[in-house]
Amino acid sequence: MQGLMLNSQEKVALVVDDSARQSNVLSCLLIEEGYKIISAENGLEGVDKYIKYHPDLVLMDVNTSRMDGYEAARKIKTHSGQYSLCPLIFVANESDDHAYTKSIEAGGDGILVRPFSIAVFKAKIKSIQRISDLYSQVKRLQQLQDADVEIAEKLMSDVIEARNFGLDRIGILKKPAALFSGDIQLSVGCPNGDVNVLLGDFTGHGLRSSIGAIPLSETFRAMTKKGFSLLDIVTQINTQLYHLLPADLFLAATFITVSSHEESIFILNAGLPDAYIFSADAKIKHKISSSHPPMGVIEHLLPDVAISAISVQAYDRVILFTDGIVEARNKQDQMYDYSRFESAVKHGILAGDVSQFVLASVEEFCQEMEQEDDLSLVDIPCSGWQQNYAKVTFVDDTLSGEYQSSIYASSSPAWEWQLLLTGKRLSAVNPIPIVISHIHEIEGSGEQWLSLQTILSELYANSLEHGVLGLSSALKAYPEGFTEYYRERESRLKVLNSGFVDIRLQYFPLLNGGRLAIKINDSGQGFDVEKIQFKLTQNVHTQTKLCGRGIELVEHLAESLEYCDGGRTVKATYLWGH
Amino acid sequence: MTIATMMSENGKELSITVDGKFDFSLHQSFKEAYSSFSEQNMIIILDLSKTSYLDSSALGMILLLKDHAEKNANKIMIKNPNEAVSKILKIAQFHRLLTIDG
Repeated sequence: MQGLMLNSQEKVALVVDDSARQSNVLSCLLIEEGYKIISAENGLEGVDKYIKYHPDLVLMDVNTSRMDGYEAARKIKTHSGQYSLCPLIFVANESDDHAYTKSIEAGGDGILVRPFSIAVFKAKIKSIQRISDLYSQVKRLQQLQDADVEIAEKLMSDVIEARNFGLDRIGILKKPAALFSGDIQLSVGCPNGDVNVLLGDFTGHGLRSSIGAIPLSETFRAMTKKGFSLLDIVTQINTQLYHLLPADLFLAATFITVSSHEESIFILNAGLPDAYIFSADAKIKHKISSSHPPMGVIEHLLPDVAISAISVQAYDRVILFTDGIVEARNKQDQMYDYSRFESAVKHGILAGDVSQFVLASVEEFCQEMEQEDDLSLVDIPCSGWQQNYAKVTFVDDTLSGEYQSSIYASSSPAWEWQLLLTGKRLSAVNPIPIVISHIHEIEGSGEQWLSLQTILSELYANSLEHGVLGLSSALKAYPEGFTEYYRERESRLKVLNSGFVDIRLQYFPLLNGGRLAIKINDSGQGFDVEKIQFKLTQNVHTQTKLCGRGIELVEHLAESLEYCDGGRTVKATYLWGH
Repeated sequence: MTIATMMSENGKELSITVDGKFDFSLHQSFKEAYSSFSEQNMIIILDLSKTSYLDSSALGMILLLKDHAEKNANKIMIKNPNEAVSKILKIAQFHRLLTIDG
């Protein structure tokens, strides 16, 4: 290939000397030290051969023709960075301070002054080789580390973040620092059409900062898809990271559920800078400060941990970001800080692209200054998340094979399932994921259960909140009341030790689909059924207290919906087809 | 020397002072500052009055110190953080985990 077959283990020395005799002497000594020799007769040829063979060592006579030794050394050193440290030793006939200085300035790693003994020569070669080996080792470690960081970044972007939901609507700014610093953005659609978003910042840099990312994203995704509440998800993630990560590694994160049909967001900030809610005309409506230590720091969440419920309007936007943005520095060591950030977000909202505006603004501020931390921002619209539920167009309403022949066909279900939750268990357990998981196990998973999950969630929430807890949804009519409603819900749940909710399901397979009968009964006071029934059958959009947005949704998704027993029992059927 | 350690004469109070930027570059020296002390019922004071800045790795190091302290039934107290450092401690809600004074 290059006219010289090289064993990869064999070291190669380049000897550059005009004098054939001197060159031979040096070559012989180097061969004794185990080197293979390439020689060049002048400086120019030396540079050419260096580029061609990338030797492990260069011996350069100071006074070479066509290009002097210093100049040749400079040229060689500009090329050597790409391969490894190639030590270059000058050989000089004069020993004065000037020659030493000049050789070091030209990039030389040492100088030998004639006359020298064989012992001195060999010792010099050995010592310089030792430094060169050390350099190679450091370089190799550096490459390994770079490769690790590359894996970490790739893992984050390809494996974890590529599976994010709603990226056409959620604006994400992500600019990793030179040494990747563990920021993570996740978005997942909930079964009822809400969207869960997480912006997190793991401690530390490089691969170390990304080891928690896989369990985090798996848990966040799986629990969201199964319909667990945000608090359930946060609780699980905290426990998981606490047990998984070493004590000094943790995750600062903001968790958020954006619910279009509730016209609200649910948010917990655990260790990130304030989250913002901006109105369509770019006014700051809310700032949500960190209210809990980061995830994975303490084994159990603090007892007063609370998800804030905030009522929002259709064109509001939620902006989450990590400290890398506000702590970005310019050459004068000034911080970008909050006021510049807020102003950039405002301009971005009015221009319709928050992440690009913020990025441009940070870059203009920092100029060429390299940043130590990742820059991350997530911009989420508060409306439009209600998914388009596929309306059931036609289902053959006859029973499937095994039941067709049965004379009890219409009255006997393929299976029945019941769960009666009482007292304290009502606040400890969310039955919906349990129910859905049972249905998945028996009937297999599929898109058809998404709407069912919404129906069950809404009906159960009504039975628990309006029935057992006796909360009035009139509170939810006003933004302040909305927060009040959820606060009241939490405090009543905490002291709850009586009451029950009884959930019963019956499943009837059909030829190309199925029908699920739902009956939920609670220990509450009930309500004026006739009034509600009337409104429902009239199908008018109503502001009636008990007929909130949730029931409207159920009415839309269910085949039938009926209240009886003075409002203490609700019956609904859900029909699905292939 | 950016980390200084001082033990009181009665051996009951260990002061650790971090001067300048408290970040991941101090990982080793911060650990060395306390790991040789394993006395019981001691007060460990982390003096941040000279600390200009604190990053998330430093928060992690403080948690390691907390673990060490709890193992030996020591009390731990963070003293005199400046405004910028206080803000970072507040965002991380560290006042819920440790005593912060001043």
